[in-house]
This record gives sequence, C-alpha cells and structure tokens, in this order.
Amino acid sequence: MTLTGSHRAKTIGLTLAGMLVALYLLAPFSWLVLTSFMHERDVLSVPPQWIPQDATLENYSIFFDPTGTRAIVGARAAAQMLPGMLNSLIAALGTALLNLVLGTLAGYSLARFDFRGRTTLLLLYLGSRMLPGIALIVPLYLMMKTYGLLDNLVALIVTYLTFTLPFTIWLLRNYFQAVPRSLEEAALIDGCNWLQMVTKILLPAAAPGLVAAGMFAFMTAWNDYLFAVILTSTMAAKTLPVVVAGFATDVTTERTLMASGGVMAVIPPLVLAFIFQRLIVQGLTSGATKD
Amino acid sequence: MQLAHSKTPLPSRDESPALQARRAPSRVGYERSGFAFLLNAPALIALVLLAAYPILSSGWISLHKYSLKRPRIFAFVGLGNFRELLASDEFWSALWVTLKFTGLVVALVISLGLLIALLLNRRFPGSALVRTLLLIPWAIPPVVNGLMWQWIYDSKVGALNGLLVSLGLLRDYRGWLSDSTSALLALVWADVWNLVPLAVILILAALQRIPGELYDAARVDGAGAFQMFRYVTFPWLAQALLIVLILQTMAAIRAFDVIYVLTAGGPGSSTTTLTWQTFLTTFESLNFGLGNAYAWTVSVITLSLAVLYFRVLYRRGEIEA
Repeated sequence: MTLTGSHRAKTIGLTLAGMLVALYLLAPFSWLVLTSFMHERDVLSVPPQWIPQDATLENYSIFFDPTGTRAIVGARAAAQMLPGMLNSLIAALGTALLNLVLGTLAGYSLARFDFRGRTTLLLLYLGSRMLPGIALIVPLYLMMKTYGLLDNLVALIVTYLTFTLPFTIWLLRNYFQAVPRSLEEAALIDGCNWLQMVTKILLPAAAPGLVAAGMFAFMTAWNDYLFAVILTSTMAAKTLPVVVAGFATDVTTERTLMASGGVMAVIPPLVLAFIFQRLIVQGLTSGATKD
Repeated sequence: MQLAHSKTPLPSRDESPALQARRAPSRVGYERSGFAFLLNAPALIALVLLAAYPILSSGWISLHKYSLKRPRIFAFVGLGNFRELLASDEFWSALWVTLKFTGLVVALVISLGLLIALLLNRRFPGSALVRTLLLIPWAIPPVVNGLMWQWIYDSKVGALNGLLVSLGLLRDYRGWLSDSTSALLALVWADVWNLVPLAVILILAALQRIPGELYDAARVDGAGAFQMFRYVTFPWLAQALLIVLILQTMAAIRAFDVIYVLTAGGPGSSTTTLTWQTFLTTFESLNFGLGNAYAWTVSVITLSLAVLYFRVLYRRGEIEA
C-alpha cells in the first residue's frame, strides 16, 4: 500500500496535533512528578530546573522514616502520610464493597423486573446522584455527631455510599440488561435456585460491570475531600487528600514533600485507571448515557 | 454445569421469582413487585437515611435562626434566611462568579473536548497512547490537581512564569493568583484540565456510533469537510454534547476542592462561587441557618439542571416509562 502525498501530509498533521494534546495532558503532571525527585533548594531556583540535576528519593523515603536522617519542618506532615493512605484505602475499599452488594440487588431488579414504581425508583436513584455534596454536609455532620461517629471511618464509608450508589445501580442495571435472559433461564431449569443463579451465572457474566462499578466507587471515595475534611479531625480517620491539602495550606511545609505526597495520592487511582482502561471508558459512557 | 439441588430457602418457600416469571406473561409482573422492592430495600434505606433525610433536614434548618456561636438558639424564622440571602451583596457576587466560572469551564471543556475527540476519532501513529494519557487528568484527585496548579502558578518559582519568561512572552514573574481576573482564569484552567477527559470519552463514544455509510454518502454527494461535520457529525453528536453540557455544568457548580486548595475564594471574593460561599457561611461564620439557605439555593439550581438531563435521557428512550 502506498500513501499519496496528501495522505502523508494529513497523517503528519494529525500526529503533530496528537503530540500537542499529549503535551497538554502530560506536562502539568510531569512537573509534579519531577519536583518530587528534587532537593528543596533546586525547586526554588529561577529559572526553574525542568529536569532534576541531582535527583533524590529522599522525599519518598521520609514517609517511611519521618524522624530519620532529614529533620525538617514537614516531619509531622510526613508522618501522617502512610496512616492517611491506609485510612483512604479502608474507606475506599469499604465503599466499593458496600456498593457492589447493594448495587447488585437493586440493579438486578431494575434490569429484570417490570414492577409498579420502577420508573419512580430509577428517577429517584438518578436524582440523588445529582445532589450537591455541600447541601448534605451540615445535616450529615450533625447526624454523625449525634451518633458519635465523627472522626470515624464508618461515617466516611456510609457517606460515600450515598454519592456512589446511584451511579453503581445505574451502571449495573445496564450491564445486567446485556446478560441474555436465556442464560438465567437455563440455570434455573438445571435446578439452580435464584441465589445460585445470581452467584454462578449472572455475576460472572456481568463481571466487567462489577469491576467498573467497584472501581468508580473506589475512586470517588479515594478522591473525596469535602466530607473527609469536615467529618474527620485526627489520624484516626483522616484520609490522604486531607493530609495532602494540609501540606498545601501550611506554608512551612517543604514543596518537594508536597509534591511527593501528591504523587502518592495519585498512584492508586492512576494504576487502577491504566489497568482497567477499557472498562473505564465503557463504564463512563454507559453510566452517563446507556449503551 | 455441576450445580447441585441444594435447599437454600431463598428467596421464597416454593419457587424462585425468576421461575415464576417464566410462566407469567413476561412484561406484566406485578406479583413480583414485592420481591423487586425487597431487592431495592437496602439501597433505598441507605439513600433515605443519608440523602433524603439530610436534604430535608437542611431545608428545616434553613428556616431557623441557628448559629454554632450560640448553639442554644434554634428559632423558627420562616423564610427569613432566604430574605437575608437575597438582600446580601455576597449572594449576588457569588452568583455572578458562579456564572462566570461555570460558563468559562463548560465552554472550554466542550470545545477542547470536541476538538480532542474529533482528533482521536482518526487513526494516526500514537493515537492509542494519547487515549491512555487522557486517564491521567481524569484520575487525579481534585485536591492534588489544585496543589499541582497552585505550584505551576506560583509567583516566585512557578513553572508558568518560568516558561513564559524563558520564551520571552513575559518580562517579569507575576502573581497569577493575586489578581482577581487572572485568578479566576487560572482556577478555570485548572478545573478544565481535570474535567476534559470525561468530555472527550463521552463525545468519542458518540462519534464512534455514527455509521460510516453516512460519510460515504455525503462524499458521493460532494460534501466538504465542514459540510460533513455540519450535516452528518453534528446532528449525531447533538445529544451527547447536551449530556456533556449538563453534566459538566453541574460539576462546575459543585467545584469545591480545587477552589479550597488553589484560591480559597480570593483574592477578595473574586473566585467565591455559591458553593464556596455556602462553605464560608457554614463553617467559617458558623451560621448554619443562612448556610443551609445557601445550600438549598445551590441544590435547587443543580436539580433543575438534573431535570433537564432526565428529559434528554427520556427523549433518547433510555428511561422506559
């Protein structure tokens, strides 16, 4: 196959445009990553050092040994990084798990049964997805205070559930609808009861949907800041975004430390996103529309 | 399949509902309503407790004089807080900032999103890589996004200043976040970077659904590139664009984390949106009554947009009546 001149010119034009887009997507983040490998004095240089001349891992190793070799102003903040990460992980995993259980039940019924009030339920779920978090925060705060759940990861998990569950239900409904009814019927004829049919036939068939839904819930919980900052106050429940934002508003913290903290907060969602790229794209499209 | 005839009592004593369903005419099944609601019960209970109750409770508080500075006073004032809100300069200023911020964010997200999606819909070396890179801004927590841009905009050592000066486009370093116009634009740009990937993904999916024959037919009819976009691509894209428009408008109105880290509503009140004003009134002034009046105002605005969104989905036939 030979390319004509105009074809080649077009390909070159498209590739150049693609490089420009890649630069737009990559440059701000690379700056953050590069800074996290710099010494504090190099970060403060004018003009900026685009590539670290004397790269270091110190900004990361300090999280594992906050009181060690490098006694710095940000030591207290550095000590909070790993516990914060653990809290985030627990909150995000708990949210994802609860979502999958509740979302499967509701999503299945909406996908398969034609019952009175079905449309109302669908609209209710969709509607609650639209509520702005800032509108719920005061009553939730007062409620958690009443039940003694302030500064407790349980409060975060149930709060995140509210924001993620409607999307999960909507998404799982779409995936369940795509599973052929005949599969279920065959299982029931083979003598499975309903629960066996769900666990052995339906869920495996809709596995991509479950992975996508679990991941979206995980990421929403992982990324939240508003609820975490209002509902938590100590390292008993502070999540990573709260710790990182603490860096940002504390002028004494070293910038390189802020950068490595930011990178640590990005790694889990980013790794998930890269591993499950195809499912994410599918899920986002299906969740916003329905295909 | 080796599935034994185990005797699990779920979901009913005699037969599974799905089996009953096979016998019943498949579309009408009111006798299964009970089971369907049972399946929805856990989700419904969670949402009633954690979404419906709080929003109603917030409405109730908004009708009261209630401040954490004097927590013992909880006096019914009717619509007093809303009257105070409408009479205050803060509200109108925040509304205006919200309009500017949302308008700019949405316009940029849609136009950039459309351009990038149109590009990625073509095949060129590296197009798959660019699609993967889209996930970077999408996956970044808004707090980290704010932190990252705060730094890029920094007045003394920031990358933006460094870049513009070394390119000769700017003579001296300047404080992008200390001037009210450039602070708003800087905030918009940071938020757009975070939001663009979702728009690209949704628009790209819509583009890929356009049947190729339509372009062939248009080509036969002698249509140029612009005419093809105008008469083939755009009509197929209109609904996806509308969905992106509504979703992104709601996202922009809700923006909180990025404001918190990047500008904290300043300088002055130049980046204080309604959401940020709600936060300030509630958690800085501790005026829970007025704060919840703000919260309700934001909710009403967002929910009216949600109604629009539903109507679009309805027209696409995605919510069956």
